[in-house]
Amino acid sequence: MTRYRVSPNALAASLSDGVVLLNLQTNRYFSLNETGTRVWNLLSCATPRSEIVATLAREYAVSEEEAGRTVLALLDELAGEQLIEAIEARS
Amino acid sequence: MTRHWQLGAVLAESGAEETVLRHLGSPAALHVVGGRLRAGAGYAAAPREARRELARTGAILRLRTRGAYVLHASGAVAPNGSAWILTGDSGSGKSTLAFALARHGWRVLGDDGVVIRIDNTGRSMAFGWRDPLRMSCSLFPVFPELVPLEPLVDERDPRRRVPVNAPFAAGAPVAGCVFLERGEHDGATRLAETEVMAKLIAQSPWVLIPDAHARDHFDALRQFAVGVPCWRLMNTERQLHHISATLEGLLS
Repeated sequence: MTRYRVSPNALAASLSDGVVLLNLQTNRYFSLNETGTRVWNLLSCATPRSEIVATLAREYAVSEEEAGRTVLALLDELAGEQLIEAIEARS
Repeated sequence: MTRHWQLGAVLAESGAEETVLRHLGSPAALHVVGGRLRAGAGYAAAPREARRELARTGAILRLRTRGAYVLHASGAVAPNGSAWILTGDSGSGKSTLAFALARHGWRVLGDDGVVIRIDNTGRSMAFGWRDPLRMSCSLFPVFPELVPLEPLVDERDPRRRVPVNAPFAAGAPVAGCVFLERGEHDGATRLAETEVMAKLIAQSPWVLIPDAHARDHFDALRQFAVGVPCWRLMNTERQLHHISATLEGLLS
């Protein structure tokens, strides 16, 4: 089961229209839209990836396949920017 | 662990107890220890501009240890006691519009830097960074009272500016903030909080310094973004005479 943790170099600001992320290591910063913010809030609570996908599919009334593509693309991007780290754990 | 970072021409090594600032253009060093500044090797003999830049960065770090954060901005306090922050890139009109406000009885907070502090109720407060306003001599036809200052033009400055002393304000609660852009039309657009936060990071780049104060600095910018109404203000020359009414109109 894959979970994520926020990188120690990442700072996050929760705002009324989304989240702004700053990486102190790379000096790059990003803003997340509504969906990205929902994913960020879930992963920040160590929610397993499969549960993040299921939650988004339910809340946005889309298939798990479609939600999975969106979530994986975002998680890959966040990991590529060293804002999150994957934690592999046995279920 | 020692962290290395660079902002502008200042290179730094930040350790647990001390930050050493060095200038790219000269061998001068300035030490920041426990919030105090101490001249290091080569500092006294360094060119004035290098010393000035190191001292400014040192002062910004020192303020940062005390929960006060510099924004690349000018600002002014209205006769009713509320502060406005005018920020934006170089040449966007920060100093000029601060001077235009001073002509309408506002008191100036700074030319190229304003200090922000979040008070214990979460309110954003602005404090002055006491540099004189630097006004381009191309504005002499608009502001004829500046003409006698012409002998003070800095000929090494490509923008040929003169230092102007306007009445300073000590500090005030922030009523609003505008991100200035020169344009062909005047117009204001209210900004969403995420846009404001991204712009504040750009205008307070010391938040990128990876030290023990980064998190507090970032959170102060967040509180500013949440609590202070902010606009993108496209401005033309018309604002040289109407900025006071424009800012008052934004809040009405």
